Amino acid sequence: MLAFENVSLNYGSFRALDEVSLHANEGELVVLLGANGAGKSSIFLAASGLQKACAGSIRYGDCQLVGMKPSRIVEQGVVQCPEGRKLFPGMSVMKNLMLGAYVHRRDKTGNRKRLDEVMALFPVLEHKQNDPAGSLSGGQQQMVAIGRALMGRPKVLLLDEPSLGLAPLVVKQVFEVISQINRAGTTVLLAEQNAFAALKIAHRAYVLERGRIVLEGDRDSLMSNEAIRKAYIGT
Amino acid sequence: MDLFFQQVLNGLTLGGVYCLVALGLTLVYGVLHVPNFAHGAFYMAGAFVSFHLMTAWGWPYWLAMLGSAACVALLAVLAERLVFHPLRHASPLHPMIAAIGVLLFLEAAAQAIWGADFQRMQSPYTGIVDLAGVTAPVQRLLIIGAAFALVVIVHLFLTRTVTGSTIVAMAQTREGAALVGINANRVAMLTFALSGVLAAVAATLYAPINLVYPAMGHLVITKAFVIIILGGMGSVPGAIAGGLIIGLAESFGAFYVSDHYKDIIAFTLLVVILSLRPQGLFPNAAR
Repeated sequence: MLAFENVSLNYGSFRALDEVSLHANEGELVVLLGANGAGKSSIFLAASGLQKACAGSIRYGDCQLVGMKPSRIVEQGVVQCPEGRKLFPGMSVMKNLMLGAYVHRRDKTGNRKRLDEVMALFPVLEHKQNDPAGSLSGGQQQMVAIGRALMGRPKVLLLDEPSLGLAPLVVKQVFEVISQINRAGTTVLLAEQNAFAALKIAHRAYVLERGRIVLEGDRDSLMSNEAIRKAYIGT
Repeated sequence: MDLFFQQVLNGLTLGGVYCLVALGLTLVYGVLHVPNFAHGAFYMAGAFVSFHLMTAWGWPYWLAMLGSAACVALLAVLAERLVFHPLRHASPLHPMIAAIGVLLFLEAAAQAIWGADFQRMQSPYTGIVDLAGVTAPVQRLLIIGAAFALVVIVHLFLTRTVTGSTIVAMAQTREGAALVGINANRVAMLTFALSGVLAAVAATLYAPINLVYPAMGHLVITKAFVIIILGGMGSVPGAIAGGLIIGLAESFGAFYVSDHYKDIIAFTLLVVILSLRPQGLFPNAAR
């Protein structure tokens, strides 16, 4: 469904991605593991068109995403929930969510239905819908960010470090919701440092180091891989 | 006491015009981080286009204002496309210098077309009303009414409509805006167009009690910069409050201190307020 083929990305003279190839099949939940600076976010920035890959191709169905405008990519159904959330802090929660549906702004009934689904997924947001998003706790902001991405009706959802800076209990909630979103049929690409929690809900995973894919496999093979356990799970 | 209210009236007139100009400037800064010095030239162009439509083509005042708003909006969009858009990845200094370039270009163009002379724009509203002892020229009341109506309309546009929200969204989080599918180019053009409309309307409102000449934008743009620095760069409520503060301070200062120092007051106020509140009056206000 979404496939990277030999994608390279440079920031000036720094090579952030070096011939990365990976794919996510329809309905899969694929995890990207790796330390800070390994290139996880760069993969997402390239997929969303915020950074232009200097070589290789990113295919989504029949579309070539390299060189496509970010707004067009969202229209295609590839929606990112970025690291650091990037909410509109001065706007209400409701407005953040409704702007998430910006590309579907003409379909008002569809958006209302979608909004109900998002609220059902994150019941806490119901009472906070008129508060400015910037006033919420980190966990709630993350829920708004995921909710906002869902309002864009993603076929492929790119989640960049959704657990970053959250309390353990909230992390658990967030991962449950991600698993739920995936089971409802959305393809998910999830970048995480929290390898154990991420692998538990994943189908497959890739391990990145210094802009290269060094390992890939399904959940069970990676969970039992000695090097992975040492480097990322810590047991 | 009548003299006091007279100054309030004058201050609101000036403040209304400053609000409109500063609003356009702060929106452009908020969305594109360009300190648009050319905004003063948009203001000047707005006055000249209205002047031309009224004197050469005989258009009525309000129609000329609309025509001028459309022309200057187009001019602003052209400036964005041809000058600022190609510089979007350059260091911040480049668009700043380019903005000064646009300012000089537009001024020279105006001088070539209309000459360097001072012109007087006739307003159909020359009457004077007496409001409980305060002498109020109709044109001044018109400026106050129209400016505040427009500020309210812009506010509603930014907060109540989806299109307006895209401007606010991009000012708050550029990347977030791109990731929900907001087209940055469209927002940039829209913001420039809006700033052009505001500048043209402000100029057409103010010109009948002032003069029209190619350098008329200088003082207005420097004061608009003072206002948005005071109010917090990119802040809409800051621009409105700042505009009123400067307008009232100037009219009171001119009356109670000395008319000669009128134009210095804004800058003195800037120095005083920034030394007390370096972050501006409305730091990261809900833009």
